[in-house]
Amino acid sequence: MSKPLEPVINELEPCPNGTEYNFYFGPAHPGSGNFGVKLIIDGEKVVSARADPGYLHRGFEKLMEYRTPIQNAVLSDRLCVLEPLNWNLVHAEAVDELMDIQVPERAKYIRVIMAELSRIQSHIIWYGVFSKAIGFDTGFKMAFGYRDYILDVFELITGGRVYPTGYICPGGVRRDFPSSAKEKIVHVIDKMKEMIKLGELGNPAMAARTQDIGVLDMKVAIRLGATGPVLRGSGMKTDVRKDEPYEIYDQLDFEIPIRKQGDAYARYWVGIEEMKQSIAIIRQALDILPQGEVIAAKYQKPKITMKIPEGEVYVRNEVARGEAAFYLASDKNGRILRSKIRGPDFLHMIPVLEYLLQGKQIADIPAIYWSLNICPADMDR
Amino acid sequence: MGIVSLLFKNLFSKPMTVRFPHESIPIAKGYRGEHVYDIDKCMSCALCAKICPNRAIEMIDVSSEYKDRYAKKYPKIDLGKCCFCGLCEDICPTDAIILSKNVFLSTFDQSNMIRYPLPKKGR
Repeated sequence: MSKPLEPVINELEPCPNGTEYNFYFGPAHPGSGNFGVKLIIDGEKVVSARADPGYLHRGFEKLMEYRTPIQNAVLSDRLCVLEPLNWNLVHAEAVDELMDIQVPERAKYIRVIMAELSRIQSHIIWYGVFSKAIGFDTGFKMAFGYRDYILDVFELITGGRVYPTGYICPGGVRRDFPSSAKEKIVHVIDKMKEMIKLGELGNPAMAARTQDIGVLDMKVAIRLGATGPVLRGSGMKTDVRKDEPYEIYDQLDFEIPIRKQGDAYARYWVGIEEMKQSIAIIRQALDILPQGEVIAAKYQKPKITMKIPEGEVYVRNEVARGEAAFYLASDKNGRILRSKIRGPDFLHMIPVLEYLLQGKQIADIPAIYWSLNICPADMDR
Repeated sequence: MGIVSLLFKNLFSKPMTVRFPHESIPIAKGYRGEHVYDIDKCMSCALCAKICPNRAIEMIDVSSEYKDRYAKKYPKIDLGKCCFCGLCEDICPTDAIILSKNVFLSTFDQSNMIRYPLPKKGR
């Protein structure tokens, strides 16, 4: 039996004044998820931070090489537990482009509505765990209570509460909306407005704990590869839905919320504003939802063998946490040769987090950590 | 909303949760729960076993007491491996496998998680 490898990032620098010590945040900390940060602490101050990823690695890129696209659609849910429909959409778009499938118009609208509902749901979880991290337990309970309304919609439409299991699949979507879906979505949107109102109340404790904490300058954010709400919280006006519109986003009217301050509080406000924009998108898409087929005729029934033409494709989308992308390459035999997944959290959780934690107080670690809207599942893949 | 009005609203409104064993939220139509399998409709095409992303379905012979009536191979479903994606239901040409609304699958006995095409006699 071979000896286990020695951890290389765990080495402590010799302490010049003998007051520094090792401090582990996670992976068994209730507020960390399946992810850890190894810190060197001097008193209450963080000297240096080193991310410790790998606890949730499942090898999706390899798994996707020997499965068919429809099986991969089911697998793509698990890329991020908190927003499976968005990841379904990225994967489905990559396969559509690689195989040159014409997606019916109604399916595009349904895809956008479901992806935006998923984004709201993910932001609500963000609000919940962020509140929990700074000790505001009411916010956590409120968020998870309101999230259940969206899960009810997912249950009605996709047949599962958390995992839609490839609802957005290559060719369109797997099921049409049931007759009561539109009414239910409108009802849930009203509930979400209630939730946003409560989030907007401007809790003074929230502001005190997060203002001027974890300030990320725009130039540094770009250099470290931040995307999505983290970059928008630092003042950069960017969104793949606007920069490179996919599906029907070019027909919809919505804003990109930004904040200039770049601290944890600014990121929190970007999240709240984004939920409002998502509601506006869902309303517009529901109003002009056309009739017709929801999946391309050839893919009505799932297929065991799908012959993929030789080629390669790179598709990027805006998911709740930032920019997500799929690279797929196929060979002559009609199989997937390589799949590469670009998740937004890899860069948020390693360079950005390590940068932000330097020189901060221990008590601020959870506030900084959760203000980045992290998801260990998406980072480790 | 002021704190006093919020207080009164919460005082007279119902909680978000329900008292589970006594009452439960109805499960939506089309929910993907436990499989219902009809061996008489099945034509042993094994499409379900081939499409299953988790390889939870295996085609097996039925036990010897049914062998004269059901001579082909039929799906054995391992619910422990199943992710309830419903691809087997979608691909089945004769609707022999349908996902039901049953979600109460917790068990203390691991062997309860395996669904054989036909129950063994005396089981």
